[in-house]
Amino acid sequence: MSAAVLGGLLAPQMVLAAGVLGVLGAGMAAFNPKFIKSLMILAILGAFALAFGARPGAGDALIGLDGLGFSWQLVFYAAALPLAFLMAAESEVAPALVLGSLLGLGLLAVSANLLMLFIGLELMSLPAYLLVARSRGGAQNSVEAAIKYFFVGGAAGGLYLLGLALYYFTQKTMAFAGAASLGAQAGVALMGSAALFKVGAFPLHFWLPDVYEASDPELTGFLSTALKAGGILLLMRLAALSPAGPFARALPWFGAATMLFGAVLALRQERLQRLLAYSSMAHAGNIVLGVGAWAALGATPGAAVAVFFYLAAYLFMNNGAFSFLKASGAKTRADLRGLGARSPETASAFAILLLALGGVPPTAGFLAKLLIFWEAFKAHLYAPLLLAALGALLALGYYLALLKDLYFEDAPAAAPQLETGSGLAVLWTCAVPAAVLGVAPWILTYMSRLLAL
Amino acid sequence: MIFSPLTILWALPMAGGALALALALRSGRRAGAWSIFISLVVLAFCAFLPWREGAALAVTGPAWAYGIHYSLSMDGLSWVMCLLNAFLTVISLIASLGEERSAGYWASFLFLEGALMGVFLTADLFLFYVFWEIVLIPMFFIIGLWGSANRKHAAVKFFLFTFFGSVLMLLGILALVTLRHRATGVWSWDMQGLKGVASGPAAWAIFAAFVVGFGVKVPIVPLHTWLPDAHTEAPAAGSIMLAGVMLKMGVYGFLRIAIPVFPDLSWHLLPWLAAIAAINVIYGAFCALAQSDLKRLVAYSSIAHLGFCLIGVFSRTTEGLAGGTLQLINHGITTGALFLMVGILYERSHKRGIRDFGALFAQAPWLTFFFSVSILASIGLPGLNGFVGEFMSLAGAARVLPVLAVAGVVGVTLAAVYALPAYQLVFWGDRGPSSVSSHVTDLSAREQALLWVLCLAMLYIGLHPSGLLSVITPATKGLAL
Repeated sequence: MSAAVLGGLLAPQMVLAAGVLGVLGAGMAAFNPKFIKSLMILAILGAFALAFGARPGAGDALIGLDGLGFSWQLVFYAAALPLAFLMAAESEVAPALVLGSLLGLGLLAVSANLLMLFIGLELMSLPAYLLVARSRGGAQNSVEAAIKYFFVGGAAGGLYLLGLALYYFTQKTMAFAGAASLGAQAGVALMGSAALFKVGAFPLHFWLPDVYEASDPELTGFLSTALKAGGILLLMRLAALSPAGPFARALPWFGAATMLFGAVLALRQERLQRLLAYSSMAHAGNIVLGVGAWAALGATPGAAVAVFFYLAAYLFMNNGAFSFLKASGAKTRADLRGLGARSPETASAFAILLLALGGVPPTAGFLAKLLIFWEAFKAHLYAPLLLAALGALLALGYYLALLKDLYFEDAPAAAPQLETGSGLAVLWTCAVPAAVLGVAPWILTYMSRLLAL
Repeated sequence: MIFSPLTILWALPMAGGALALALALRSGRRAGAWSIFISLVVLAFCAFLPWREGAALAVTGPAWAYGIHYSLSMDGLSWVMCLLNAFLTVISLIASLGEERSAGYWASFLFLEGALMGVFLTADLFLFYVFWEIVLIPMFFIIGLWGSANRKHAAVKFFLFTFFGSVLMLLGILALVTLRHRATGVWSWDMQGLKGVASGPAAWAIFAAFVVGFGVKVPIVPLHTWLPDAHTEAPAAGSIMLAGVMLKMGVYGFLRIAIPVFPDLSWHLLPWLAAIAAINVIYGAFCALAQSDLKRLVAYSSIAHLGFCLIGVFSRTTEGLAGGTLQLINHGITTGALFLMVGILYERSHKRGIRDFGALFAQAPWLTFFFSVSILASIGLPGLNGFVGEFMSLAGAARVLPVLAVAGVVGVTLAAVYALPAYQLVFWGDRGPSSVSSHVTDLSAREQALLWVLCLAMLYIGLHPSGLLSVITPATKGLAL
């Protein structure tokens, strides 16, 4: 394996690593925080461009890029952009942490080995704990939430290592080499539960609402899209080790349970960020169901279009929703009242996102749900599918309730003033794709091509 | 190719709606004039469309992905539904001129019209589902923003109920497409050629999903509870579109998908489906009988009338199918007129109760005249449109399942029982102490013109049904056994 080939595969990661160093250096040299923020945005854009230009191929025992990693890398970097644009330009710390987390996600994408996956997993998570702890815009004590997040993440990492040890003990390798024996299956299940922790799947979700509520809205957008996509990739790598094994077979049920649990709890929330936290859990449930169906259908990378499209659509929908929270400063459902009359443009963008999140045609959210359901059909997963359909119906209930607040309720006497700024630009940048991707199925053909690279 | 006259038929209202929003941010009145203009153009375009049986204007675009095509086609069934939609949209919009409305209101109706056109035109199941759902969005806002007191609750309930049915329908569609792929190796969402792809328990499950999915829209009892709320709380023009066109989507779904795909199963299940239809007729009538709110009475009567349509359609005889379809049109016109007049009463007096009025005849002779014609058409007086559709439906049912025809005849009688006393109280009865009849002024020239058009249409179909039947029958007789 020549260094040149490896360098080609790792170019985005190198840009991100350079970005971390550059940002820290610029901070030490007391550059303008705005300049530092721009540096971070440039690094992310550069990484995206290089990832887009990369050509998948085998690397060495640790590194390799397949269609799955290639496609997911695009999701990771794109999902970080809303955060990068919206975060306050204060110091070099937050930009360095964001780039560090992205570096971990990038490594996750090119890992060809279970140990590399672990490194990617930890590197994506550690900066996230700190980012949560530094948040000031959330409703809850962010340090407390960050500690919770940290301990749960540590436990997940421990589970992963335990599973990896078991796997290595039986398979004598840490490469992706199937799972022939019972011990290896158990190892996969242990590692997989770490992935389920990261995704926030029921019953390993308990950290999620607190963490998502305690963070700044734009950070929650990042956690719920980029980091969740990372968890999903991890899950897929593990499920692909043994697509017919017990862990992969249990995934649809985890998905359906997560979907239902998230949807039911979201129904009763008054605080918007907590509502969206539970709603993101419901979406994660759909995706996990899709992963289960994908595994049941043979776990070939080229067949992962449904999951890929869901994540791509979700990236726009959820980041858009959180950028709305950021831009509007709305904290509770009561703050939304009468917004449709007070500022129709902002409200209509949020309305589009809500319809998309609810899966109403012709939005991207609809096509995403349709594809997952369809996969489940092809995989004969009828019972989880019915549960997920029920969950989709419940989910629509709380999105409609928000629409009702936006448009049908009168504004309270002391309505909070809306900020306007970069949040609106991000909001619309997310709302437009969320609205139109659902009637552009050619994008699926394109995505299949990327996955099959 | 995606450009064809059929594309214009759904895209023009949508583009008109978008323009209404863009143009008239300042003045709702201008948006109103613009929307009425667009809806008239669409109506004329639809009426003079040179379609003919056998897909003269059909259009199929390139494959998107997974065999999804942009594909539209028009037969007699599609044409009459599109015409009804275009016609009632014009009526609704002109009826809305009485009140000051924002641009969003006018645009919503045009979006609704475009989406409904799409439902009636498309020949691709994916597209069908997309249009089917888009219909909900403008109607959600029409009810929730411009409805009466309990509008918020009604709007959410309406959306959730119909979405529930749609999700089941979507699962049914997915199952059909997947099964066809297993049988033929081809991904295709074409509505044609699905007959026989499902068999055994799968066929039963899919058919049940369709019955529920389309049944929520019809609505069949017990999936009907969204209807009284939505129809009562919607603004008058919204009620016209809800009852006049949107309910028809359900029966259209049976005619276009459920029965053609499962011809044997739907025949096999005739007793059960017939029971559903008969329950609709009887239950709707009894509920209407119990109402003290005039608008709610008309809403419940819709459940009964749609039951007649289902009786005709499920009988699978040539006359039953044609009569059931004709009854869709008839009910659209008649109930449209009734909702329009109830809306006028409400606009004048802010009351809808049957006992809030009395002796309106003296106050508003024109209103009384048009209401008399409409209520007689609604209960099926010979010479007016309702009679033809109900008679043909029942004649078809009598041939295959006489007991069903008996239930239908009971329903016809009950219609007179619930409609005429209410009509008598409102227009001819004594005024009570709380009567608001004195606030009701007679119809303006605009309202008269609308009602003349509607009542003449009732009379025309009643005296000369063969005009429409010659269009409907060729399209539906293929489903007859």
